[in-house]
Amino acid sequence: MQVETARPVGRHLLEVRDLFVEFHTRDGEAKVINGVSYHLDPGETLAVLGESGSGKSVTAQAIMGILDMPPARIPSGQILYNGEDLLAMPEEKRRAIRGSEISMIFQDALSALNPVFSVGWQISETLRVRTGMSKADALKRAAELMDLVKIPAAKARIKDYPHQFSGGMRQRVMIAMALAMDPKVLIADEPTTALDVTVQAQIMDLLADLRRDLNMGMILITHDLGVVADVADRIAVMYAGRIIEHADVHAIYKQPAHPYTEGLISSIPRLNSKGQELATIKGLPPNLMRLPSGCKYHPRCPYMQQPICTDVVPPALDLGGGRTSACHFAKEMLDGQLHR
Amino acid sequence: MFRYLVRRLLQMILVFVATTFIVYSLMYATGGDPIQALAGERPVSPTQRAQLIREYGLDQPFLVRYWNYLSGLLQGDFGKSLTGREVSDIIAQALPPTIQLAAIAIVTTIALGVTVGIIAAIRRGGWFDNATLVFTLIIIGIPIVVLAPLAQLIFTIKIPIFPTTATSGDLYALLLPGIILGALSVATAMRLTRASFTENQRSDYVRTARSKGLSKRRVVGVHVLRNSLIPIITFLGIELGALMAGAIVTEGVFNVPGVGFNLFRALRTEDAPLVVGLVSVLVIIFLVANLIVDLLYAVLDPRIRYE
Ligand SMILES: Nc1ncnc2c1ncn2[C@@H]1O[C@H](COP(=O)(O)OP(=O)(O)OP(=O)(O)O)[C@@H](O)[C@H]1O
Ligand code: SF4
Ligand SMILES: [Mg+2]
Repeated sequence: MQVETARPVGRHLLEVRDLFVEFHTRDGEAKVINGVSYHLDPGETLAVLGESGSGKSVTAQAIMGILDMPPARIPSGQILYNGEDLLAMPEEKRRAIRGSEISMIFQDALSALNPVFSVGWQISETLRVRTGMSKADALKRAAELMDLVKIPAAKARIKDYPHQFSGGMRQRVMIAMALAMDPKVLIADEPTTALDVTVQAQIMDLLADLRRDLNMGMILITHDLGVVADVADRIAVMYAGRIIEHADVHAIYKQPAHPYTEGLISSIPRLNSKGQELATIKGLPPNLMRLPSGCKYHPRCPYMQQPICTDVVPPALDLGGGRTSACHFAKEMLDGQLHR
Repeated sequence: MFRYLVRRLLQMILVFVATTFIVYSLMYATGGDPIQALAGERPVSPTQRAQLIREYGLDQPFLVRYWNYLSGLLQGDFGKSLTGREVSDIIAQALPPTIQLAAIAIVTTIALGVTVGIIAAIRRGGWFDNATLVFTLIIIGIPIVVLAPLAQLIFTIKIPIFPTTATSGDLYALLLPGIILGALSVATAMRLTRASFTENQRSDYVRTARSKGLSKRRVVGVHVLRNSLIPIITFLGIELGALMAGAIVTEGVFNVPGVGFNLFRALRTEDAPLVVGLVSVLVIIFLVANLIVDLLYAVLDPRIRYE
């Protein structure tokens, strides 16, 4: 039982409710987000998983309010921050939250940082512009932040430019920049994908430490199930712009409640399965212009049964303990009774 | 950095020697009789001819003459024009109006081309963007030999707000020819600015800047602008050199007594020493402008390091 006295019952720090996003393209409307719901509380890490194109980044960008509209459009949904709908807010009010209450770090720090400004300048920019801090104070704070993310000789490197740092150090610079305003929510969109394996682990450790020390809520976007086991509290699995399974990390590893999650887990390389060929999910991700009827996963699902899977959209089934699964046979799957 | 500078200077010297050599050989190889050109319509007696040939060193082998000319240049001696005047005097008189003309042209290019390009990029796809696109196409389509006399006709005769010629060389008289000269690069500058701005607006770092909660104005005015300026300034620097040379037509139409005007006349009278002298000056200006652009480039873009 979680004890949360300061928080009204049922209210989360951040809650995405039934969000829809479409993109207007030359070939028609791409239905990218089709009813995503997830929530985040202070001090916890939610991992958002799913193959490329499933809509993880677009959801995050909708939360940040940095989608280009047009071509993007949000026909319906809510994004509640402390109970207030970000989508219904005037832009000025929303901008005050963006980057200070809710921050985001991106995948490729080299292109995500501005090449012509020094890292100290970029880290201190928000402080100077938004809090009116003096240039000298802001730079001093930038050096402290660089220390916090464990960049060696931070003070000496404050005038260096992004291209003068290694990939891992650059990602740390971006983390320092995101932390400048003490955010309550940190969204990390594949923060380690562009890095070497050894550096990946260091960055993940750093993020986990910072999340704990600063008591932030963290949304960790990744398509690597392997890295989330150690850092995440809960996992939300996305497919075709929907959360198809949501559960506690340990529960999901023990027994997935959705065929797609099962496919993802069996495709993780394991040390003890040397020589054995990795299971992969057959077929291609769905065409967002023409989504399949019924369950969006049915063309690829090994357990698909006609006509229910092809005709009826499975609702998010509540399996108890905060666990949900959008599969008609979630209960059977959980009991290990589903066979191909 | 030092090594880079030395290398660049050596390159510049090489380019300079090569260009002057080419112009020098062309001028003296195109046949024509320089002595007759010098005398004009009057007949030249054999003794006069022999004396002139010796005076101008025309009896020496070609390479020796070129060498003499070059070493003269290095001591600031441009030789004598066929009109008898020192070439360096003519250059000293022609340079100021041409520099003023180029300055007016560059200011026009920046004021019109760059600002309009930025606005067009920000309002991409809107009516303003489309209108400027049509406008630039028209301007690019009209050659300067048409544009200059046309503008002269309209703005000095039909609506006489400017003097017809700029012989006096005062700044107001140079305004119209300067704007005309700049109009040519306005279109290119507009296009380049718009393209550079648009490309930068789509970059990842813009998304990052927005996610920091910065105002739209700041994202565009600081982050995008600073990056977009890199190719624009490069273009302006190179354009400045080209403008000096490209002024020939404009200076001719408006009678501006500048480098281009003198060059045109020198070519017509086959005044080889003057042509070579004026071209040398243009080459030097062009090379120096290029060097400055390259150094500026390193200042604007920290990723560039000259080794
Ligand atoms: N500006 C856009 N215009 C059209 N389609 C877009 C746009 N941005 C994203 N999409 C589409 O939205 C879908 C989801 O994209 P998103 O970036 O959220 O995927 P993702 O889950 O983050 O994948 P990845 O793991 O590759 O980062 C993709 O199919 C993508 O093509
Ligand atoms: S609903 Fe049917 S097709 Fe969809 S995941 Fe479950 S079994 Fe597979
Ligand atoms: Mg993504």
